[in-house]
Amino acid sequence: MGEETGDIILEMKNISKSFPGVQALRNASFYCRKGEVKALVGENGAGKSTLMKILAGVYQPDEGEMILKGKKVQFNNPRDAQKSGISIIYQEGSLLPYLGVAENIFLGREPRKKLTFIDSSALYREAEKLLNKLEIEIDLTAPVYNLNLAQQQMIEIAKALSLNAELIIMDEPSAALTTQELDRLFQIIHSLKNQGVTVIYISHRIEEIFHIADRVTVLKDGKVVSTTSIKEIDGEILIRQMVGRDIDGRFPAKGGVEKKKGLSVVGLSCRGVLHDINLEVRKGEIVGLAGLVGSGRTELARAIFGVRCPDKGEIHLDGRKIKVKSPRDAINSGIGLVTEDRKKDGLILGVSVKKNITLPSLNRLTKMGLVSEKRERRWVKKIIQELDIRTPSMNQQVEYLSGGNQQKVSLAKWLITESDVIIFDEPTRGIDVGAKFEIYNLILDLARRGKAILMISSELPEILGMSDRILVMREGKIVGELLPQDATEEKIISLATGLIKNS
Amino acid sequence: MAQLREKKFSSNKLIRTRRGREIIAIYSLLTALIIISSLISPDFRTPRNAVNILRQAVLLGIVSTGQTLVILTRGLDLSVGSTISLGACLTSGIMLGRGELILPVFLLVLLIGTVIGAGNGLIVTRLKVPPFIATLGMMSIVQGSLLLYTKRAIGWVPTSFLFFADGQIGFVPFPVLFYALLFLAFFIFLKKTTFGRYIYATGGNEEIARLSGIQTRFVVLITYSLSGFLAALAGLFLASRLAMGDPLGGEGYELNSIAAVLVGGTSLAGGRGGLGGTLAGVLIMTVVGNILNLMNVPGFWQWIVKGLIIIGAVSVYRKID
Repeated sequence: MGEETGDIILEMKNISKSFPGVQALRNASFYCRKGEVKALVGENGAGKSTLMKILAGVYQPDEGEMILKGKKVQFNNPRDAQKSGISIIYQEGSLLPYLGVAENIFLGREPRKKLTFIDSSALYREAEKLLNKLEIEIDLTAPVYNLNLAQQQMIEIAKALSLNAELIIMDEPSAALTTQELDRLFQIIHSLKNQGVTVIYISHRIEEIFHIADRVTVLKDGKVVSTTSIKEIDGEILIRQMVGRDIDGRFPAKGGVEKKKGLSVVGLSCRGVLHDINLEVRKGEIVGLAGLVGSGRTELARAIFGVRCPDKGEIHLDGRKIKVKSPRDAINSGIGLVTEDRKKDGLILGVSVKKNITLPSLNRLTKMGLVSEKRERRWVKKIIQELDIRTPSMNQQVEYLSGGNQQKVSLAKWLITESDVIIFDEPTRGIDVGAKFEIYNLILDLARRGKAILMISSELPEILGMSDRILVMREGKIVGELLPQDATEEKIISLATGLIKNS
Repeated sequence: MAQLREKKFSSNKLIRTRRGREIIAIYSLLTALIIISSLISPDFRTPRNAVNILRQAVLLGIVSTGQTLVILTRGLDLSVGSTISLGACLTSGIMLGRGELILPVFLLVLLIGTVIGAGNGLIVTRLKVPPFIATLGMMSIVQGSLLLYTKRAIGWVPTSFLFFADGQIGFVPFPVLFYALLFLAFFIFLKKTTFGRYIYATGGNEEIARLSGIQTRFVVLITYSLSGFLAALAGLFLASRLAMGDPLGGEGYELNSIAAVLVGGTSLAGGRGGLGGTLAGVLIMTVVGNILNLMNVPGFWQWIVKGLIIIGAVSVYRKID
């Protein structure tokens, strides 16, 4: 299985790719043998997805070449890659929810009778053949929205096979699966292997890789660190290879933490999402909240902010119990939330910088129902200077600002409401490096001014460099608490993936 | 920061912002229409006709004001037409010429319109029925109830009530003055008040508005209530103009008001546009009707021309985008 046998089916040589402001891949070389499961691991932003999207024809490399079954190939679009037998299966399905299973598998390639009528019996016959091959039992007529995520993935795999895929890329297929569903996925991957199909498996979960992969390639900062047979490596080494970097000195220093109580959460539960969460953030403290995507971090932030009502539990502010039934309650109690996705739930893009900034605090700017525009301009001008938001005017629509400046605008919203507790959900996502450090400095400055700060981040250097304390979440629970001097990226990842049970 | 100050010149701002360019486009169209109409029709360019146009614009103007608010929240109100008819019939049907009933009936009709609007708002916010369907249902319910009440024109209004639609203060028609004040009030409401900002924010992105502490369901409820209120007011006006109530008198105003709002540059996607554009939209629709009437063009042509204007205007806004 894991031996260095089998023909090399794919070779990617010295691939480089850069996007504005980021060098995503540098001279990355990668190869696969026929019928193996090759794991691809690395931190967020290591370049895994970019590499795979190049393979699938979504992006074109700046440099480097690809050799498929001994022939040099170039994919200008996903269709080219598909024709050459490469299929990619994304985390979130690309199926049409109201169409049936069989219709989805053959979408756009339906077997036809004369006069372009769909040959339904052939459609179902072919679909059944495919699913039998994978030993999947699903009602072929069932609309896809009735199926769970795992079943949807299987249909995507079947679809890939129907395209005669010889190489299937799975981009974090396990992120949203339950344990049983995952077992089923592994069975399918085994059966693919037996049919000689090569699988490239991207995952954050280290234990899975040892379970399923034959060999593993580690990517870091756009470079390939190693490619090893899975039998010759252990989890610890793998994690060290993934993160092993010196991050000291990159983060500005911060003063001490006040003793005073800020935010505390007691026994918070939301059915199926959060289980008995207890945490405390003191004034002037930055608590980093780490965990994998889907571990319940964002849900926790939203529960504290009153977006979704928890089933159980209490929230205290400055030692007093508060009722948070809506974001409005949270804001009135002095809690602010800088959301994860600025475009979806942070800023109204078509509206000016000024109006976005003052939205949560308009009632303090109102006199007899009218907005006091003079005062509004004064406040906004001050905060624009304070945060150094680069915009030609406060009347500029936020959609024309850069990511970093947009993030400053969402920060400004909560600064002028004078929130005592500010929750940041991925504060530097999609922001270039220079702007990142400006944001870091702003967050640190807030802490120095006595705000209690809860910072969710997937970027471990950020968590390690900024936090006074680090909490790690997994499957809706807080599974560990670390002090920055004891914490390492390895420890956090181990806790987040469940490789270590507790600290 | 010097840049910040420099932006205060409003003429500059008009060209630079998308909304500013839309306003320029729509008022240019209105001006062009007026100039062309004046050139081709001597009857059009009389002061008398100008006053006439304004007078004719009032009814559509009142309904479109409410429609603008609803569309800004990303909604739609199809029930305004039947609410106008209901308001008109109740007005004349209850007053029956008795002058002492003007005030109580006035208030009753406005209340009923507001309740209908609030019903729309509750259906949209609580039952989560999409606005199109909610107000389509309400339109049918209101129209049906009205036809149960009366199938033909009904009642008559006291002479003093005719002042609402026909009165004159100096040389200004009272309805024009009335609409001007109403427009101004709602213009300020939308542009200057906190609640007006909330309407834009809710339509711009309801989730963000909610996360910013705005009670978006309340905001939506209020806009539908105001739309119902204004439709009832238009019904009162219609009763005054016709001196009686016609159970189909408001028919067509649901689509005409939506058309005026869209021509005025307010987006069905919510959060963008405003009453300044709607005013131009109302005037454009009225001027088109007026000039085609003066030239004895059959009524069906008006539909065709208006249809072209709606499509043309919105496609221009897409370009500006």
